[in-house]
Amino acid sequence: MVDASKSAAEEQLSELALTEEEKLVLAKVADILRRIQFGTVVLVVHDGKVVQVEMAEKFRLR
Amino acid sequence: MANAIRTLADRPSAPAEPKLALRDLVVTRRTASGETITATDRLSFEVATGEFVCLLGPSGCGKTSLLNVLAGLVMPSSGEALLDGRPITGPGPDRAVLFQEPALFPWLSVRGNVELGLELIGVPAVERRGVAQRWLANVHLERWADAQPHELSAGMRQRVALARALAADPDILLGDEPFGALDAQARELLQREVQRVWVESDNRKTFLFVTHNVREATLLADRVLVMSAAPGRLLEEFRIHAPRPRDLDDVLIARVVSEIHALLMQEVDASVAREMAR
Repeated sequence: MVDASKSAAEEQLSELALTEEEKLVLAKVADILRRIQFGTVVLVVHDGKVVQVEMAEKFRLR
Repeated sequence: MANAIRTLADRPSAPAEPKLALRDLVVTRRTASGETITATDRLSFEVATGEFVCLLGPSGCGKTSLLNVLAGLVMPSSGEALLDGRPITGPGPDRAVLFQEPALFPWLSVRGNVELGLELIGVPAVERRGVAQRWLANVHLERWADAQPHELSAGMRQRVALARALAADPDILLGDEPFGALDAQARELLQREVQRVWVESDNRKTFLFVTHNVREATLLADRVLVMSAAPGRLLEEFRIHAPRPRDLDDVLIARVVSEIHALLMQEVDASVAREMAR
């Protein structure tokens, strides 16, 4: 049943029932996304686990 | 454990006082025909202590002129070049320069070349041998200590130059296309050595290299500053948070390389169009 008090994003998240580990990964990614305007973020996965987050930020200087 | 996720984006922010600072730097140079050319046009940027920065730009964009100012070999026409907050007025033992040609003294042995660098900055004779030996071992040349430079390959000679530069324990290593004259394998080896040496310096040494090799800059640097065609200005900055030693096959590195490459090609095309319109 759809709960009207929840946003679409919250709905999706609760359906996924994220593990603590997954929440930590997403928190890290969100932290990076809040800091960069342009760039690339790469998650490195080994054996089903994110072991590394790499990123490159780009700034226009002209 | 999610806590074991390695993220390179967590490094502390740059200290308030930069190691190197350029403020509106204009460098002009005179050509053989007597024409005065503006090499860099009001260039401003900073380099923090322990940072590895690569300046990348098309040929003739003023990279070498800029490096010469930082080395203290050329004075700027206007603007400032500051080292630890003080204007750079000449060369000093706090900065070592690695040139494209290793410039070793051909009449001295490999060891002699490294020891000479130490003698020039006043290291007592008894200490020189040990320091030279340690640095030669660090670049895997201890077996060649007594060889003459002409007996070595180009890559080995550049490793001697690297050992000589770092044996003097400078705060800053400046590189002017330091691997430009090497074959592909020697170049790759040197790139690995430089990454290792920089990592082992525990964020203490500041490296600033100029190059027109996109892959090299992306592989080596924390920050890549991309310059325009002459007169050189800054176009874009890339901050790369990826573990070392880096690999060109790394997804992030490959992606940044292609982005910078596209930017440079655009810049080169624009500068050719400007030339044609003149």
